[in-house]
Amino acid sequence: MKQLFVTPNRCTACRNCEVACSFVHTSDPTVLAFPRVRAYAISENTNTVNLCLQCDDAACKKSCPVEALVWNAKTGALEVDLGRCIRCLMCTIACPFGNIHFDKRTNEIAKCDLCQGDPACAKFCPTLALEYAEKPSPDPKPGEVKPLPPIPWMLFTGKQSR
Amino acid sequence: MHLTSPEALKRLKSQLVRQRKENKSVITVCAGTGCVACGCAAVSAAFREALKENHLEEKVEIKTTGCHGFCERGPLVVMRPEGIFYQRVKPADAKQIVEKTIKQGKVIEKLLYRDPQTKQLLTYEKDIPFYNKQERLIFGMNGHMDPTSIQDYITLGGYQALGRVLVSVHPDEVIEEVKKSGLRGRGGGGFSTGRKWASCRQAEGEPKYIICNADEGDPGAFMDRSLLEGNPHAVVEGMIIGAYAIGSHDGYVYVRNEYPLAVKNLNIALAAAREYGLLGADILGSGFSFDITVSRGGGAFVCGESTALMASLEGKIGEPRAKYIHTVECGLWEKPSTLNNVETWANVPTIIEKGADWYRKIGTENSKGTKVFALTGKVNNTGLVEVPMGIPLREIIFDIGGGILDGRAFKAVQTGGPSGGCLPESALNLPVDFDTLTEAGSMMGSGGLIVMDDRTCMVDVAKYFIHFLLEESCGKCVPCREGLRQLHEMLEEISRGEGGVGTLDGIERLCSVMEQGSLCALGRSAPNPVMSTLRYFRDEYLAHLEAHRCPAGVCKALINYSVIEENCTGCVVCKRACPAEAITGEKNQVHKINSEICTRCGICLAVCKFDAILVE
Amino acid sequence: MQLTIDKRSVVARKGEYLLEVAQRNGIEIPALCHHPAVEPWGGCRLCMVEITHPDWKGWTGLVTACLYPVQDGLIVSTDTKKVHQVRAGVLDLLLARCPGSSLIQNLARQYGIEETSFTPRKAPDLCILCGLCIRICEKIGASAISSIGRGVEKLVSVPYETVATAACVGCLSCANICPTGAIAFSESEHCRTIWSRNFELVRCEECKAVIGTPEQLEHFARRSGLDRSYFTKCDSCRNREAAARFVRVTF
Repeated sequence: MKQLFVTPNRCTACRNCEVACSFVHTSDPTVLAFPRVRAYAISENTNTVNLCLQCDDAACKKSCPVEALVWNAKTGALEVDLGRCIRCLMCTIACPFGNIHFDKRTNEIAKCDLCQGDPACAKFCPTLALEYAEKPSPDPKPGEVKPLPPIPWMLFTGKQSR
Repeated sequence: MHLTSPEALKRLKSQLVRQRKENKSVITVCAGTGCVACGCAAVSAAFREALKENHLEEKVEIKTTGCHGFCERGPLVVMRPEGIFYQRVKPADAKQIVEKTIKQGKVIEKLLYRDPQTKQLLTYEKDIPFYNKQERLIFGMNGHMDPTSIQDYITLGGYQALGRVLVSVHPDEVIEEVKKSGLRGRGGGGFSTGRKWASCRQAEGEPKYIICNADEGDPGAFMDRSLLEGNPHAVVEGMIIGAYAIGSHDGYVYVRNEYPLAVKNLNIALAAAREYGLLGADILGSGFSFDITVSRGGGAFVCGESTALMASLEGKIGEPRAKYIHTVECGLWEKPSTLNNVETWANVPTIIEKGADWYRKIGTENSKGTKVFALTGKVNNTGLVEVPMGIPLREIIFDIGGGILDGRAFKAVQTGGPSGGCLPESALNLPVDFDTLTEAGSMMGSGGLIVMDDRTCMVDVAKYFIHFLLEESCGKCVPCREGLRQLHEMLEEISRGEGGVGTLDGIERLCSVMEQGSLCALGRSAPNPVMSTLRYFRDEYLAHLEAHRCPAGVCKALINYSVIEENCTGCVVCKRACPAEAITGEKNQVHKINSEICTRCGICLAVCKFDAILVE
Repeated sequence: MQLTIDKRSVVARKGEYLLEVAQRNGIEIPALCHHPAVEPWGGCRLCMVEITHPDWKGWTGLVTACLYPVQDGLIVSTDTKKVHQVRAGVLDLLLARCPGSSLIQNLARQYGIEETSFTPRKAPDLCILCGLCIRICEKIGASAISSIGRGVEKLVSVPYETVATAACVGCLSCANICPTGAIAFSESEHCRTIWSRNFELVRCEECKAVIGTPEQLEHFARRSGLDRSYFTKCDSCRNREAAARFVRVTF
């Protein structure tokens, strides 16, 4: 199963991902949806994106009183059933990573759904800081493109098949 | 005493029958709720006193029984074995009855019943038309036994059907027998009892529940009450047989808390049945166990509907739910449940005892057995009557009921309770059974029969029943709750002479939405009082709407009271009685009613002895 | 199993109800008392559809789609004359009950009703008695409100129509689910008021945004089995903190 990989040291906090996410999650082009992915410039030269980890034992799912958070077996994403959701907002408070939001403009709970298996954020990431793949791509060889620092660690998202 | 086998039960019965001295005099005093209200307790006490004075306590027995049905004439006393029938007996009469009738064998004429038609005095119970036209299959035992005595019930053959079933009849055969008998639910639905039991037996899921619906809510109907008060063991025995057939071990009786005597007698019966080994674990040593819990309802009409009743039993708000999945599969606590009405359960022992073939002989093609009706309204004899299915309405009203009160003209009879319908004279020859009444636009319901004379306004009647339903609708679904509100509003308008002819089309459209759209049978049948009166008495509605007249002289906004000068003697009785002081006139002079002050209360009409008050 | 809705063949699983199958297939059936989060109820009678079956010898019936279990071979029509009549009748009645509800006005207009043909209720409120608030309150485990009385007198309230008892956690679920906005509540700087009861407000430890009432957070922590410490900050602050933490562990 493909997963969404985040490689923070490639991130420039350009926020292309946020814009892409907003666009694909709205049906009304005049209203931008709340982005499910957020890019942060933490300090000079230290950037990252933060988005849902699709936790196995998800706090948002546990806090939901109406079982409105359901696994999509195909993508491994935990999705919000908006028909079921009663907007009690407890999931937004319970998530320890703050990755599930309430979008006031659309009156919807906004959460990463991996775009049904085709995440827009990854497609629009110019630096491969977000990749949707079986495994993350290796760092470019020197000379190939502008050299990047080596990757000491990788954050992975996507439900793991443990 | 704990009976451990059907044989032991049989032995007990023969022993009790032997003990009972055939010719011993018995004074039976009816102690049904009607007679209790008329003071029968004091009558029994007076008899006890009188017997004591005459040293007859050993020789004469006093039996306080359940309801005899002729409540109109209570307190009732029947001297057995002769069957002498005394009516409206007062405590002061007891002494005379003991001294004359018991000691000297003389009949006391002033306590006898006079036939309102023939004016003849009738001595014996069996000669009274009210009784002799009836067929008292279910009700018959009431007058012969003390409902608090299990021994009385056993003496009269009670629990023998249960004993036989437990040892020698397979549950499937019991169901077959009930199916074959043609018994249909007496609570109003008219569904085949045998088929209901069979579906419940086949349904998957354990445990299965047996429920007795004793939430009798129709105004004027009290047959279930009288059965539970007067013969609770018949209901209990029916339920045990049903439980055996279906494979249930838990039963409930849901009874209105407004029926304290029924609750009391039922609890006495249940305790006695447990003591005798007829209820509880290992009934009559057969290995079959079943017990019954009494649950008291809070008196909501809607809780007579099966699913609302089950919700109430579960401790929830008494509101119906959809029955697309039947309660025999998913009922009480979502388990297979068989719910039958009191009268239906009471039929079961008789069917088992006498056989389906015997039972099938009574009644019509598709409605077998008898039905108990609560006959009330403008008839001479009111009370409970049990008649074979198929008897014409005319016979019930004119033979058993003794005709219309004060010799007035018959106008309509309302059958089936508040959501039943009103049938006109032309329907009087219809045989009374489930299907015929439904075809005629009314229904059997639980068996209310309200007779109306020519002074009844059909718009007013419809309004009365719609108002009753308005107050009793549970309010869960829109068509019933909001529809009744609007229907009542429209009828109010008509009875004020307001609204155009279009009002009737509006009513018919609304009724159709309610019939098709409501959740439960109560909502779906709620328009019946309006639809049936519109069907048979449309002219009367039109008289209100077009001529602004109430032909029966009932609807206050459309009537005027005046004095017929030729008849008025100037007696001042009406003037004195008028609470609004609307009548003027000196003694011996013609009086006048000031119609602006007059409140149309009708008191002048009631007190005038010279027919000098005109209502138009 | 296979059934036909408006001449379209659709697939359903045993135990499903008609309404959910229709909705899944994009077939619109109006409903006011239905919400996927709670058990179907069958009170508004708006989701009436006409059904028949090849085995029924031409018999057809009107049923509520929200409660009618699917059946193989069933033929469902969602827009027949009869269906239209009953729905229009129901909406006409509801419009007399709640003339001020824009939801009912709009629905009624779709069925050709601009104004109710009945007598409007005196002193109307917006409550259509769909029971969603009561059922959702029970579902979240509070059961603080219920219907009171019956028939035309029926209303939704707290016990004895006074002030919400301790059962109410002030979560606003009832007000949020109400289709007509009939449940009043207010929120000021320090206080949320619903069902005549005042609730304190808990704020995000960082940004001070309101995140709920103490009772609400306590209740949801208990029912979810999560530690109370999960319910202390808003999503934005959590998100920023988590990003910083990721960076710390990844660089």
